[in-house]
Amino acid sequence: MEFLKNNNISRYGLIAVLFIFIILLSFLNENFLTLNNIIIVARQVSINGILAIGVTYVLLTGGVDLSLGSLVALSGVVSAFVARSAEIPVFFAVLTSVFVGACCGFFNGFVVSKGKVAPFIVTLGMMTIARGLALVISGGKPVSGLKESFLTISGGSFLGIPNPVLIMSAAGIFSFVFLRYTKYGRYIYAIGSNEATAYVCGVNVVGVKLFAYTICGAFAGLAGVVLASRITTGQPNAGIAYELDAIAAAVIGGTSLSGGVGGIGGAILGAFLMGIINNGLDLLNVSSYYQQIIKGFIIICAVWSDTMARRRESGKVI
Amino acid sequence: MPYGVILWRADVNQVKLYRIMKINIKITTTLVLTILLMVCGCKRSGQNEESLKTQSQQKTIGVSLLNLSSEFIVMLNKAMNEKAKELGVRLIVYDAQRNAEKQVQQVETFIAQKVDAIILNPCEVEASSPSVKKAIAAGIPIINVNSETRDEPTAFVGSRDEESGKIAMEYIAKRLNGKGNIVIMQGFMGQAAQIKRDQGADEVLKKYPEIKVLARQTAEWDRAKAVSLMENWIQSHGNKINAVFAHNDEMAMGAVLALEQAKMKSNVIVVGIDAIADALKAVKEGRLDATVFQDAKGQGATAVEIAVKIINKQPFEKETYIPFRLVTKENVDEYLRK
Repeated sequence: MEFLKNNNISRYGLIAVLFIFIILLSFLNENFLTLNNIIIVARQVSINGILAIGVTYVLLTGGVDLSLGSLVALSGVVSAFVARSAEIPVFFAVLTSVFVGACCGFFNGFVVSKGKVAPFIVTLGMMTIARGLALVISGGKPVSGLKESFLTISGGSFLGIPNPVLIMSAAGIFSFVFLRYTKYGRYIYAIGSNEATAYVCGVNVVGVKLFAYTICGAFAGLAGVVLASRITTGQPNAGIAYELDAIAAAVIGGTSLSGGVGGIGGAILGAFLMGIINNGLDLLNVSSYYQQIIKGFIIICAVWSDTMARRRESGKVI
Repeated sequence: MPYGVILWRADVNQVKLYRIMKINIKITTTLVLTILLMVCGCKRSGQNEESLKTQSQQKTIGVSLLNLSSEFIVMLNKAMNEKAKELGVRLIVYDAQRNAEKQVQQVETFIAQKVDAIILNPCEVEASSPSVKKAIAAGIPIINVNSETRDEPTAFVGSRDEESGKIAMEYIAKRLNGKGNIVIMQGFMGQAAQIKRDQGADEVLKKYPEIKVLARQTAEWDRAKAVSLMENWIQSHGNKINAVFAHNDEMAMGAVLALEQAKMKSNVIVVGIDAIADALKAVKEGRLDATVFQDAKGQGATAVEIAVKIINKQPFEKETYIPFRLVTKENVDEYLRK
């Protein structure tokens, strides 16, 4: 089948760009290729990485989720409230946050799949709803005074690897296996490739889409906890434009905006490319004005070279 | 319409479609009814207040605020409400949500409602200017609070943002004995607060040639971005950094978090601006070295006071500058109580 083939194409173009960039930076700055800096980049990437993993599910169905940034803020604020009280255990704060994200995602999925409303509009609506809710719950002020154990979610590390990186890796491995080797994972690709065909073949289109949006929301909730723990507050204004970074990471990694093509590995690679650009330009002390220009160009070039490599591989002419 | 009919006929499953439409109509009707009920509920509680106040022939002040999802503006609003209650005037508060066009519309609404005065917390220097022009043309006094517009209002209440940058940098220079390396975390590039806080800091830096700015970069007022930026700076400059000046407390807190994680906080001075609750707590705990207090309470209360003075045709100050104040561990308790 078409979608199986597309998914197996490797990301040579992107990996090449990533390597060129890493080599260039390590020549320009001696601090770049140190273990410490690699850990820092991985930690900085993890929130965007988790979001990119989540949004990949939705992008693969041919949809889009613009509400991610607001969901991060909402779930962050909720988890911060839970994490304030000394009696409630930390995992419960994580659970509520993921649950809140999943609920919002479920709502998105329900209106998209049952109501047949364009995902752009539904998730745009959710973007303002969730932001509003976050502001209402927090009263417009950051929620602080979180207990120590909650802060270790992002602050702690295991065998030298920061927890956020472990969380991202776990989410990545789970999603990779799920999308590649399970029946429902393949259904997601099938729907994105051709929804009508998938329906005719007996795929429960509504159910699978509902699942994709729900899990995307759940990952946003997870990212919300990681962020709240990292910045030690639940910020109602946090996460603005995070959805664009997440979608960009997924698309840089080769996931198609029209669905059916792409995967988790690419999304994580894309997130790393964005993180490395950020870190590298900061290390080189490039002015903030120029940083934006350079970032834009690198992203376009990366995707361009990746597209060319893929086209050559699949032997397409047009 | 005929096109719709053709589509209708073309559908094989007419009955099913009809059923779906029926359900849709039901859903829509319920939704509309709910919203209407909610609106009515809100209106009613509002009307009660209104009737109470018209009885005592209260003066009305229209307030258009920059953005009620920012902590500082929330504090400004609270101070205004308290002062209005004290002085017995009625406030109508609108949130412009950072949208200058919306703000102009809100002022137009105030003019149509014939309010006695308008307090404007401008979104932008240029784009909010028409609001001021329109109010003055309609003969309604308008008071700008916290930031300026190009057109001159009846009165202005605010603080000089340059002053905050100056106070923060003076503190750093004093702590470093006029010698050392610093990094500067800027606000969102191009915004008045960023430009002016930079100006204020630069003015001080001119006096201390031995203080070197290692890097200057924006973290867009954002704590998460500030953590990442500080981590990157620690990588590239390491132990050379003696002090961090952040244009707001959110970013200063981010810098503190990154420095603490790298176990470097004890060697680096961090200073922010705004004196938000979190930062005050951090100053108290000795994690943040200093912040600069922008007096939201003073600004909000003074703006209402001056509005009332103008309404009552009493003499008033055309420009009032509420001073910034440095907050360190020594005087933080004073501010924590507020």
